[in-house]
Amino acid sequence: MRKKLLLFGLFMFCCLMQSIAQQRTVTGKVTAPDGTPLVGASVTVVGQRSGVTTDGSGNFSINVPANAKQLSISYVGSETKRVDITSASNVVVELVNTAANLADVVVTGYGTSRKKDLTGAIAHVTAKDFNKGVIASPDQLLTGKVAGLQVTMNSGQPGAATTVQIRGNNSIRGGTTPLYVVDGVPLDGRSPRPSLGSVSGLGDLPDVNPLIYLNPNDIASIDVLKDASAAAIYGSRGANGVIIITTKKGVAGEMRVDVAASVGISGLMKDADVLSASQYRSALKTYNVASDSGLSLNPFKEITRNAITENYNVSLSGGNDKGSYRSSFLASDQEGIIRKSGLKKYLATFSGQHRFIDNKLTINFNFTASNYTEQIAPISTDAGSTGNLISAAMNWNPTLALVRSDGTFNQTNPSGQINPLALSNYYDDNNNVTTLLGSITGAYQILPNLQYEILYGANYGTGLRKAQMQGLIAATGGNADGKGQATVANAQLFSQTLTHTLTYKGNISQNLNLNLVGGYEYWTTSYRNQSTSVYGFNWNIPGGQKLPFPYYNNMQSGNQANLRSTTNVDPSVELQSYFARGSFNYVDKYFLTATFRADGSSRFGTNNKYAYFPSVGAKWVISQESFLKDNKTLNVLALRLGWGRTGSQDGIPAGASQQIGINNGYNSTPGGSAPFSIVNYASPNLKWETVTSVDGGIDFSFLGNRISGYIDGFSKKTTNVLFLSTLPVPSNGASIWKNLPDGAYITNKGFEVSVSGQIIKNENFSWDLGVNMEYVRNKFIYPALGTSPLYLTGSITGQGVSSAFAEAIANGQPIDVFYLREFQGFDKNGIAITNGQSSYYVGDPNPRVILGISTDLGYKKFNLSINAHGAFGNKIYNNTLTSVTNVGNIANGKNISKTLIGSSESLANPVSASTRFLQSGNYLKLGNATLSYNAGKIGSYIRSLNIFVTGTNLFEITKYTGFDAEVSTDHNNNGVPSLGIDYIGYPTARTITFGINFGL
Amino acid sequence: MKRIKIFLVPLLAASIFGCTKLNEKLNDQFVISPGGGNSNASGLLLNAYNDLNTPFTNQDQIFSLEENTSDECLVPTRGGDWDDNGVWRVLHAHAWDATHGQSASVFVNLGTIESDATTVLALNPTAEQAAEATFLRSMAQFYFLDLYGQVPYRTVANYNTVDAAPVMTPEEAIDTMVTNLTGIISTLDPANTPYRAGPDAARFLLMKVLLNKQAFLNRATPGADVSADMQQVISLGQAIINSGKYSLTSNYFDNFSPNNGGFASGYGTGTSKERIFCTSNNGTASNNGLNPAGVDARWMMTLHYNSWDAPGVYGGAGWNGFSTIADFYNAFDANDSRRGNVAYPGVTNVSGLKVGLLEGQQFNEAGNKIQDRKGNPLVFTPEVHLVEANKDSLEGAGIRIIKYAPDYSNYSGGVQRNQLIFFRYADVLLMVAEAQLRNNDAAGALATINILHAARGAAPLTTLTLVNPANLYDNNTLLAERQKEMYWESWRRQDLIRFGVFLKPWALKTADDPKYLLFPIPATQLVANPNLKQNPGY
Repeated sequence: MRKKLLLFGLFMFCCLMQSIAQQRTVTGKVTAPDGTPLVGASVTVVGQRSGVTTDGSGNFSINVPANAKQLSISYVGSETKRVDITSASNVVVELVNTAANLADVVVTGYGTSRKKDLTGAIAHVTAKDFNKGVIASPDQLLTGKVAGLQVTMNSGQPGAATTVQIRGNNSIRGGTTPLYVVDGVPLDGRSPRPSLGSVSGLGDLPDVNPLIYLNPNDIASIDVLKDASAAAIYGSRGANGVIIITTKKGVAGEMRVDVAASVGISGLMKDADVLSASQYRSALKTYNVASDSGLSLNPFKEITRNAITENYNVSLSGGNDKGSYRSSFLASDQEGIIRKSGLKKYLATFSGQHRFIDNKLTINFNFTASNYTEQIAPISTDAGSTGNLISAAMNWNPTLALVRSDGTFNQTNPSGQINPLALSNYYDDNNNVTTLLGSITGAYQILPNLQYEILYGANYGTGLRKAQMQGLIAATGGNADGKGQATVANAQLFSQTLTHTLTYKGNISQNLNLNLVGGYEYWTTSYRNQSTSVYGFNWNIPGGQKLPFPYYNNMQSGNQANLRSTTNVDPSVELQSYFARGSFNYVDKYFLTATFRADGSSRFGTNNKYAYFPSVGAKWVISQESFLKDNKTLNVLALRLGWGRTGSQDGIPAGASQQIGINNGYNSTPGGSAPFSIVNYASPNLKWETVTSVDGGIDFSFLGNRISGYIDGFSKKTTNVLFLSTLPVPSNGASIWKNLPDGAYITNKGFEVSVSGQIIKNENFSWDLGVNMEYVRNKFIYPALGTSPLYLTGSITGQGVSSAFAEAIANGQPIDVFYLREFQGFDKNGIAITNGQSSYYVGDPNPRVILGISTDLGYKKFNLSINAHGAFGNKIYNNTLTSVTNVGNIANGKNISKTLIGSSESLANPVSASTRFLQSGNYLKLGNATLSYNAGKIGSYIRSLNIFVTGTNLFEITKYTGFDAEVSTDHNNNGVPSLGIDYIGYPTARTITFGINFGL
Repeated sequence: MKRIKIFLVPLLAASIFGCTKLNEKLNDQFVISPGGGNSNASGLLLNAYNDLNTPFTNQDQIFSLEENTSDECLVPTRGGDWDDNGVWRVLHAHAWDATHGQSASVFVNLGTIESDATTVLALNPTAEQAAEATFLRSMAQFYFLDLYGQVPYRTVANYNTVDAAPVMTPEEAIDTMVTNLTGIISTLDPANTPYRAGPDAARFLLMKVLLNKQAFLNRATPGADVSADMQQVISLGQAIINSGKYSLTSNYFDNFSPNNGGFASGYGTGTSKERIFCTSNNGTASNNGLNPAGVDARWMMTLHYNSWDAPGVYGGAGWNGFSTIADFYNAFDANDSRRGNVAYPGVTNVSGLKVGLLEGQQFNEAGNKIQDRKGNPLVFTPEVHLVEANKDSLEGAGIRIIKYAPDYSNYSGGVQRNQLIFFRYADVLLMVAEAQLRNNDAAGALATINILHAARGAAPLTTLTLVNPANLYDNNTLLAERQKEMYWESWRRQDLIRFGVFLKPWALKTADDPKYLLFPIPATQLVANPNLKQNPGY
């Protein structure tokens, strides 16, 4: 009822603004910026409903009340413009294409804003500034582009997940990526890639990036909502920041066809840190070990290849004064540099908009269908003593044959290790995911200032994954040796959104502009995974030949006693929210935005179903004050202040009610009926994590806007920290999601600077440079813990380091602080000495500084753009050096790290985690560089032509000895994530791509 | 106004959607109200029995805490193997700290037994089921008290809460266990198979509680024994002895053989007549409703990689870790069959492996010398260090112990049929003798011990005292006798504390601190339960 009254009031208000008086006639012409007349543009008097459209020459004539002040002129695909007619009877209006003007329109969530009206910290990146080169997912478009946004590749496997953090690390649990919103549809954040468990005991494989089903070529702009005053409109899912992706839309006019094609070739960015055959030979002499088998080979090279990447993209778009459409098609094939790995994508999108009922009703739709296939190499993140493909190749004795003279694999290495080539050949893992993302929006202009909009979005993904280890494999120590193993798994992920919004935009008075948004949103998601595996196939073809078809195509011939089937259905999640935002603009000088969101979630306990997230932001544009207004040097100077609360709840399953589970495998038990046990205890007080943040910033622009940028300082505090806690004993050993008590919190404090400038700008030559950096420190505070850690994480894996951890969550320390014994050199026997048996807090895996540099050099039709990024002040734990390439392995007939030569370390030195393996993580990476030649219009058919060459991951400046300092192998402990641990991961590829783009 | 109505329709739709109650939908689990009728006490009881497997069977659980902290077991770091961040070394050297993972894990696993047993009590059990659950609950409480000195518990009414659990002091815990165990002896069914608690299991545990009572109350200097308690230990022991169900097994190692329980049949079958309480194990997945225990942890952890040359067979290669120290090996009387290093059928003829304390060159089944991985002869040497620094002795250092003979005939899938014995009849005789000694009946104690000596082929003793603090291996002491009979059965630390000598130096342990009489409470538990207090010194 209250809502009805409010709306009625608004209605009356608008009616009063109309005045019924004498009429006069205004004429004019509407054109595009290049002077082309726009046909069918709509012209209305501000405050009135009726209007006219322009004729074939773009001219119009309209009768208006004598006291009418403004006309509103709109055209599909262009920015609506208002013109003053108080003292004019003939006007010429230029409408700017929306696409061309994207840089100015920022998507703020449930609405847009002009960039200069923003009060919060929002970074807006448009397609022209995106990273180029090999881009598997949209997050990679932004690496190094936005101050405060860190995108870290976790692994070099094509399509692998990234770690994305906005302004530091807010949580001590997983699932803390930012919220992604695509054309108004909030995504789930998970991927429907089925989980296999562990195939033949090799361990868990790294995750896939959940966004790879989007086509980077379809993205028009990305907005990063960094502070709470901006992100609070997303309430309980906004705490880790929000990344809003807006796809390209068609523009009015004849059909345009744009074609992009590229081919690239990839190789290793940096070689494996192991001895060459000749170095190995001399090391054997030094250590007096007899393992020289006579040959000289490079086993690591045997599992890598020069990989080809191909990308083909075609898009079609067009429209008229009533509507527009765009459709695009992508086919891409990215081979991995490790044998039998890669990513193939096929993708189609279709989007459009159309206006009905005198342009009052607008229907918008977006549809993406995609199918991708990952070929996954056996490169597990937590391999134990058996290792994975990378360790098998690194460790292989470089004097020993991989393939025997009869063509069979040498699987009887005296060291007992797996033959990497055999592992690569006998292992197959293919994951195929089909995703549909669709949304439809209906927007109705109830009054000139008031619009109602309804959005329904659905995101459905299904994955089918098939894996096998042929029985010809030996030495894995798992079920597959000699017998073979196959697994087939499927998964489904389905989420739906329904949003209603009501938007009012108008002037309360000449000086005060008002923008109000209110709405309701319902979001639900569900996930299931099912897998079936069997081992024990008794039909290996003798003589080492591969079978003509994979084992997983014939699972019935595996030993049926070894058939295992597992289903896992996550609790369904429902969210229901009410939100509102009011933005006030007083004479373009003083801005105020306030938002409020009420969120209810099924994830939380009965006592805490709803949470409330307020925020407020203000801006003072000092340069609009009279004392600065006409300053020629300082064009813009504005001061921003924001405060807000956001929540975080993703990544935790339902935790509120007591859950009884059936214990595995009891159904077959004679005599005992299926025992069940409590798997989760009721937690009725469970609630979201809350991040309260304060942001203060200065926007500036100098010298005719040639230098512009911002400086922001921020302080965030996470309270009610969600933690998968051990239950107070006695309990059934299960864990429980809990909010850490008052007094426990996480802080992230820091500042960001982003400056870009046109250093040179003349007719033939231009040089732009942009630099952004963030300094951030995070701390976990929980004084009740004293100096003992709350939890250990960063599990160290490999032979000899079972149940060792490198990181801790501890009071007064950064999240995931390294917690290790201190290495003090070697004793006279070459055995490592440590500072006692205790561990100390010895280093921070969180970078203090992240840096991004972009530069563009233009000379006539040539352009060179270079993007570099880096991180500084963090440490990396080299787990590979601890337990894979350690010196003792040379005595076992394995290859070791180059860095160990000349050390006094004994072969008997224990394999043990310590600060010895902690290395500086500083790096600066030349992420991509593109040289392009823009031929422009050619003849009467080719609208534009551009050819380019791009280098991706050209080089990295770092002292780190692993493949890449931009690394984070997942070494979580029971869901508490690790950071900055490197362990026999997929190496980084360097790629050179040649391409051509043209438009018809 | 008409237009307003148009847009009110979808708003109305919104408010209909707005009625969702946001209840959890679990999909693959279900919810029952606490204490609800949908209970299955027998299933839950099996669950509680299965909880014993992890903490009592695995090599890094109670076995490690009770044995590696003592003078009869250590895990030397062998180059790339078994350092595991020093987790084993700190136990033997008495240098662990509050983050010790094994200590933390045992704490939680004991809580699982206690919790699941209490759940049975809450969900309408029969009198027999309640008595068995009470036994399991007491067993968990006993080990909490032994290892940590604090006993968290839940009342039956609060069996499923997640609130901080109340914590019993040692006095309260002893009173509670004595009351509960005394109460169930008459309810437990004497016909229960030895892997279901019978009255003798309850008697045995009660004997342990009473014997350790003074040490539990004051570990640094245990008080004088109470005569009535010792008398009760003797009469409980005699009830077990006089039941006639048990006898000392003539071949000591038959107690631990693959057929020690007759493949999970009842009493009187199998090669061991000493099983009072043990795991069920018949080598199959359907195992009387119980999970088979991973008893292979008892031999894999000590066997060398090449001890059994059977490539491609699961468990064919040992893990080459756990060893014992020379002082213990040397303490045995030459005729004492318990030292072993003797052939055992089904084992020696298959792999050459012997049972008992293994020293010297190892041979395969054909009598040929086994080599280590570097091609040197595999010789187990008495000399051993916490960190082996000589690369040539990395693999052979340390005498190994094979008490449970590997079940070579049933290796597939890693399910072996030996039953892991928690409570053994020989210990009843030792406890009775100890109570007699503590009650100043040296003659009675001597008589009891010599029954054991006769069965084991050792010379009869003529004098017997409790302990010789100057020589822990003094043959005329009960502590040394307990070691020779009960070695590697997870009792040594408890015994050393009860006899007041746990802080004495011994091989590869020099300094000590009274804080090591107790293990630390894990940090996550201190956070979760303010009723727990960290033990002094951590």
